Amino acid sequence: MANEIFDRETLLDLTVNMIPLFIIAFFMVAFAVFPLFGRGDLLAMAVQYGLLLVPFVALAVLTYLSGKAIAGDEKRSTVFLQGQATVDEPTELHEYESQAEAAAVDDDSPAELESSDGETTQNDDETTRN
Amino acid sequence: MQVNGQLALTVLMGVFLVAVAAWLARVENWRTYTPLAGGGGAYGQEGYTSEEKPSGLIRWLTTVDHKDIGLLYGTYGLIAFAVGGLMVVVMRVELADPGMTLISNTYYNSLLTSHGITMLFLFGTPILAAFSNYLIPLLIDADDMAFPRINAIAFWLLPPGALLIWAGFFPIPDIIPAQTAWTMYTPLSAGLGNGNQANAGVDLMLLGLHLTGVSATMGAINFIATIFTERAEEVTWANLDIFSWTILTQSGLILFAFPLLGSALIMLLFDRNLGTAFFVNGGDPILWQHLFWFFGHPEVYILVLPPMGIVSYVLPRFSGRRLFGFKFVVYSTLAIGVLSFGVWAHHMFTTGIDPRLRASFMAISLAIAIPSAVKTFNWITTMWNGRVRLTTPMLYCIGFVSNFIIGGVTGVFLASVPIDLVLHDTYYVVGHFHYIVMGAIAFAGFAGLYYWFPLYTGRMYQRTLGKAHFWLSMVGTNVTFFAMILLGYGGMPRRYATYLPQFATLHQVATLGAVILLAGQIIFVWNFVQSWLEGPKVENGDPWNLKEDNLYTAEWNWYDRKLKTAVADGGEEEEEEALTDGGQAADATETDDDAN
Repeated sequence: MANEIFDRETLLDLTVNMIPLFIIAFFMVAFAVFPLFGRGDLLAMAVQYGLLLVPFVALAVLTYLSGKAIAGDEKRSTVFLQGQATVDEPTELHEYESQAEAAAVDDDSPAELESSDGETTQNDDETTRN
Repeated sequence: MQVNGQLALTVLMGVFLVAVAAWLARVENWRTYTPLAGGGGAYGQEGYTSEEKPSGLIRWLTTVDHKDIGLLYGTYGLIAFAVGGLMVVVMRVELADPGMTLISNTYYNSLLTSHGITMLFLFGTPILAAFSNYLIPLLIDADDMAFPRINAIAFWLLPPGALLIWAGFFPIPDIIPAQTAWTMYTPLSAGLGNGNQANAGVDLMLLGLHLTGVSATMGAINFIATIFTERAEEVTWANLDIFSWTILTQSGLILFAFPLLGSALIMLLFDRNLGTAFFVNGGDPILWQHLFWFFGHPEVYILVLPPMGIVSYVLPRFSGRRLFGFKFVVYSTLAIGVLSFGVWAHHMFTTGIDPRLRASFMAISLAIAIPSAVKTFNWITTMWNGRVRLTTPMLYCIGFVSNFIIGGVTGVFLASVPIDLVLHDTYYVVGHFHYIVMGAIAFAGFAGLYYWFPLYTGRMYQRTLGKAHFWLSMVGTNVTFFAMILLGYGGMPRRYATYLPQFATLHQVATLGAVILLAGQIIFVWNFVQSWLEGPKVENGDPWNLKEDNLYTAEWNWYDRKLKTAVADGGEEEEEEALTDGGQAADATETDDDAN
């Protein structure tokens, strides 16, 4: 089950949190190899490593749980474009992606779209109304 | 004689309270305000249907509707922003000259303290609660918040909190404003020594802060419960929008951070009034700093995560494409949430704590820069080759990204122990965090206020004034705070009312920037109020043409339904008018479509 959820795509998404994990791990090793302030005081060293270990473990656990929740829901139910799940005619993510790929082939398409912004449209609306 | 007087006052107050209770009980049947949400009723809601809200002031005093409470939070936040802003204008004018000219040094310290607390606790947190209260139930398709009454209580704790925090400025005999700075470091804040901080004004400020903390915690519990339990079936974790994700993370941070602030404040009050020895009287002043910053650093992310959510939500709408790396942004938000609890002592590098501990805090502080940087690249990549529309909310989003980069990069340097030892307590730090709180957080707030203006007012703002507001804010922010960074490099210490003449020029530049900012905000107030009252009505459920790019979202869908059906979101005052507009809107939309 876990392997089904944590496929290549999901692991790629999770790399974003693996980088800070790597940085913390790097410093743990660095402090172990080059203990600039000595190894004498055991309590201070325990706190020093605890301050690195606790966030490391907490981040790893939260990343795992959130990855499982999000990737699991992606597999269990339909994924829509962000914020569109409850609109009247939602677009499914895979539909949008295939459209985007098709549009990428036709590279003129962005230029054809007009460039009016919403604010202008509002003024137009007001004019229409009056 | 004195006892009799006190007795008379007590009886009078008792009669007054009974009268208030009787009047409130007569005003309306309170149960009718319970919205349709299932979770709202503390006692069964038999036979309840959608009742009209009462009109006028009573509506606002008794409402438990999440949208009304959102508007209350917003009004409160903007009033606090004006108060905190005017305070700093007085300070900046004073700083135009090296000596003590306009105000006394102690009054400067009072303003400094109140400016910080006002902007962080009375503006920052509430303005974000305004957005989340109004929008989260709409975005996840919930009927209301999970606990609507707790939502109302959470808001109503804030006004007394503000009055207590500002109490020293009111003409009350023997009460002076707190002059502890917002960090309230002991032993100064414990009232020891020859200073005047044993005054009751400091106690009132601490109590006020406590109230705002309780308010934030109640709100956070409500948001966590709402997002976990009230989501529509289609809104799975994979479909939860980015703004809701940031609010969920922020609420988690509040839940762990604010109770600690509350406890520390109580300990400090005990030290001040009951002779305990937590921080002084033989206690450890550094303990205060540990407790305060264990709250204080997550507080920074409590303030910045939802603005990041707003920008991640709004910026793609005007880039003509969806957010690049949506899940990167979600996971990095969660990473920031966790790591924010592991960096608190980077505010304390110069206090003489064990160097081994400093090294660990430095490591986590450097690690937390990664998730923030990831987001920045996501925003830039979203705009890259996109069809960017430079509307006012978009300008604010871009301004956010730009200022966040400067504020963030200056912060990475401060995370490094050797650099911090040089720059600690200088204007460099002030410049750094103002780039974040003004340049980023307030900018995202403005982006949200403009973007959703049609949603909550039914009208459109004046775009020329909106753009003038943006450019004045952008120029003002950079002039003011970049000058502060340079002042810091020059060695100008923070928190001083007077300074050496060699710093005069850069201080005057910063003051000029503050005046530019003031001009911008005056334009904002004018635009906001006038457009709300008289702006052109928005008769289209898609005022930003989002459907064109397939970027239409749930809250506009709700707004569209509201325009078209004009029933019931609880019978607002203007509902009658909205009914007519709803009718017209359908035609207007058709005309528009034909024209296109």
